[in-house]
Amino acid sequence: MFLELDRKERQRTAAIDDSGRSITYGDICDFSLVFAKFLPQRSLIFLLAENRIGSLLGYTAALSNRIVPLIISAATEEGLYNHLYELYKPEYLWLPNSKVEGKEVIFSAWEYCLVKTGNKPTPMYDELSLLLPTSGSTGSPKLVRHCYRNIEANADNVRRLFKLDGSEKAMAILPMHYTMGLSVIASHLLAGATLLLSGRSLLDKGFWALLKEATSFTGVPYSFEILTKMRFTRMDLPNLKVITQGGGKLTEAMWRSLAQYAKDNGKQFIATYGQSECTARMAYLPAEMAMDKVCSIGIAEPGGQLSIVDDNGNETFEREAQGEMVYRGENVTLGYATCREDLLKGDENHGVMHTGDLARRDADGCYFIIGRLKRFLKIYGLRIGLDEVERMIKTEYKTDCYCKGDDEKLIVLVTDAKLQDVLPSFIEEKTHLFHQRVEVKVVKEILRNEAGKVINQ
Amino acid sequence: MTNLEKLNQIFCEVYSVEESVLNENFVNTNVDTWDSIHQLSMVAAIEEAFDLMMDAEDILEMTSYENVKQLLTSKYEISF
Repeated sequence: MFLELDRKERQRTAAIDDSGRSITYGDICDFSLVFAKFLPQRSLIFLLAENRIGSLLGYTAALSNRIVPLIISAATEEGLYNHLYELYKPEYLWLPNSKVEGKEVIFSAWEYCLVKTGNKPTPMYDELSLLLPTSGSTGSPKLVRHCYRNIEANADNVRRLFKLDGSEKAMAILPMHYTMGLSVIASHLLAGATLLLSGRSLLDKGFWALLKEATSFTGVPYSFEILTKMRFTRMDLPNLKVITQGGGKLTEAMWRSLAQYAKDNGKQFIATYGQSECTARMAYLPAEMAMDKVCSIGIAEPGGQLSIVDDNGNETFEREAQGEMVYRGENVTLGYATCREDLLKGDENHGVMHTGDLARRDADGCYFIIGRLKRFLKIYGLRIGLDEVERMIKTEYKTDCYCKGDDEKLIVLVTDAKLQDVLPSFIEEKTHLFHQRVEVKVVKEILRNEAGKVINQ
Repeated sequence: MTNLEKLNQIFCEVYSVEESVLNENFVNTNVDTWDSIHQLSMVAAIEEAFDLMMDAEDILEMTSYENVKQLLTSKYEISF
């Protein structure tokens, strides 16, 4: 069974959510059998995710029964949802009761409902297991195609990396529709551990009560800004053993303060690196190196291999080098889908991922990310595709524009001064990027060179 | 600018709303954009505008427009 869920102790607690209710590994197995009665194998189902038990059971039941979920946030903006629905035409939906809105429900449990849409079966590649948007945020209908082995391999790599066992209680607060959120879930289920599944804000009292129970906390850089603002380093968190971070780069100051906190309090701080194209995790910095290798993503995770391809096209696996970072491993996904027909495609990556990140490797074999070849930003752990934001603005306002920025701020160049005030809230509505992280600059014209490359600075 | 004007301006800017919606119904569960990112940004703006440092437990209490006003009055001696 998926993640060997049927080989855990049946009475062991698998997850507790914000309602205070919990499920055991036995419950997960039983639910999978019930779920299977309502829909056939190899169906395409949209899973509208929230971090609670109903959503989790939809995921485990789908994967256990060879039903293929496309996982998106239950709060997905309506326009994007409709676009995805029209493109992929799912046969079923698994969604919170609150989103049913008159659709005919064929089964319900844990405040989630199964809806049959009437769409025809979707032909799909036999090993296709799961679809996730490349960026839950920028309204891109581009999906990452996972096979069954990808998810198992990632879960096992992460389990080995953190040496997870059944005694863990993991804080699972990153969204389920986000690759790293799913990775926390899958790796801990494989280990037979307990998930503290929560959709709470980090500024909710309930979160802080949960954190006292948790043995590990996984966050993105912004999570640690909040934790620091809340002065968590002064709190008594005796159960917390591991703090781990992914989803972009921490500032050097934040890194040092977390590493110091871990050292002083007998905890482990483990920074990680990953992409949704590789089923989340790819590299990690062992805790004992946190003070010495500040802001390094470390080394390949167990089961993976990193290399660098330099400007001359030479690939190296050791010694100092600089260039594009390449990853190999069984968690490298099959490829992308941009339309329904793509779901028939097989493996296009063959276990090798050119990450699009520029990296430097030091003499000790540790990698440092120093830049990015692909056009996207990572703000608050959200991946903001610049081409996609430009396309949204051009479609909505019929105007030329250009996006750039760094992982602090998205900068939009426009020629129409009237857009200065409206664009930040438009972008927030479409992408959920906080509008104060959007800067609009009005320019006379957007200058392009002969190759079409924008040269405004 | 009065204290109330200062506070209202912060709310309007952080949550992208008109001043007229700032009342007892402006609560984190009712406001779509009220997440941790917005709340922390609001806290930072309040700290700057009123020149104060808020305690961590108070930040957790700032779950509505009315709560924020009450808290600032009772604990930080800012009158509205």
